[in-house]
Amino acid sequence: MKIPASRFVLLALFLLFSFVALKSNARAQQGSAAPRSAAPKLDEAKEGEKRFRTNCGRCHQPPQDLSPREARAVVRQMRVRAMLSAEDERLILKFLAP
Amino acid sequence: MRSSRYLQFWTGLMLVVFCACTSQAQDLVPVITGSAGFIYSKNAGQTALQPIINPILLFPLGSKFLVEADAELQGFVARSGPGGPYEWQSFTSILYLQVDYTVNSHLTIVAGRFLTPFNIYNERLGPIWIHNFQDDPIIFPIGTRTTASSDGAMIRGVAVARPDWLLNYTAFFSALSTSEKFGSGRAFGARVGLFLPKVNLEIGTSYQRFLQDQHSDSYGGYLAWKPTMRTDVKAEYAHSPQGQGYWVEAAYRFNDSGRLGRELKNIQPIIRGQQFFRTAPGVNDELPRADTQRVDFGLNYYFPHEIRLNGSYGRQFSSTGNSNNWTLDLTYRFLFPLPFWPKGGQ
Repeated sequence: MKIPASRFVLLALFLLFSFVALKSNARAQQGSAAPRSAAPKLDEAKEGEKRFRTNCGRCHQPPQDLSPREARAVVRQMRVRAMLSAEDERLILKFLAP
Repeated sequence: MRSSRYLQFWTGLMLVVFCACTSQAQDLVPVITGSAGFIYSKNAGQTALQPIINPILLFPLGSKFLVEADAELQGFVARSGPGGPYEWQSFTSILYLQVDYTVNSHLTIVAGRFLTPFNIYNERLGPIWIHNFQDDPIIFPIGTRTTASSDGAMIRGVAVARPDWLLNYTAFFSALSTSEKFGSGRAFGARVGLFLPKVNLEIGTSYQRFLQDQHSDSYGGYLAWKPTMRTDVKAEYAHSPQGQGYWVEAAYRFNDSGRLGRELKNIQPIIRGQQFFRTAPGVNDELPRADTQRVDFGLNYYFPHEIRLNGSYGRQFSSTGNSNNWTLDLTYRFLFPLPFWPKGGQ
């Protein structure tokens, strides 16, 4: 049976990205064992606003009247769609749902 | 028939995921968001009215899963022929119905029906309350055949995140579906983007291999740049065996300081230029039959409560005929928690 080369390419891509991602995750988990610096909440919200303007503001305005629980759902979607990093997601949540 | 089988399959899959995760979802609430709008357009003398409702369901399940569904209900009122009576038509389509599984900060696995990730217009600028011109760019059909949605699986995420740069990626495959609501082409593709936050610049490239009928390759590149907080520049280039082209769009939001600023702060002038070059004849490729140039000017006015009024004028130049294109639209973006959902912990 002849298997198309495209399937090999896809499989190889999938394996490569999975490997890189799992390895990076293991590193991130090691890093998270260290105590996080106690940055004031206000600074995080300001940084979150900056990240919002940098990432989300390129396409749209900030949403109005967003409760913290709604914000979590929306930001999770945008993390997938707009390719936000985990840190961006965390800080943007601090801005949208302080 | 096929459509109902697809629907049953995805509903079943989502129920399984829901049952597995619902106990963890107490601090999250499903959200209904999306947009509604009314578009008036007059393209080359043809008047059309289009009411659109575009509801999106976001259903987070636990800390890892998210179910997203987007339906588009669109009406279309236009004359049936020159001087004929206005006729009403309506269309319903499922733009996406997908399950996202966030493995970690670098990898998200998506299964189901999703927007085809070719360049950025389809995924990021598609909703009517986001894009500045209601007419899609001329090169939009390149890389998004057959329906701009794909049925299959996708991996995506931020491969590397550094303070000065982020590298994001997407790879997908799609199966052929001729179902009315879940139509898609057989294809695979990938996109890679580099984002430089310090200069607010993202550049990227896309590739797609179309695997049905006559196999073909499409590729493209994009740019999204915010040189100042008030200026926005976006551009895309796409190439297919039938033709190639690009569009460049710029928007400016006035400063809200001073008396004049207070009056103008809700206004956003926009401009877009685009060119398409036909290199080979194509069948049902939805691209212009001849080389085409077009320039559009427009204004956005932002009202409170997520309402936007937009008006634009475009002039199209082509050997098949020049035309004027007018558009006026009102869009509303909504967002509210799923009704009757228990409040749970905040």
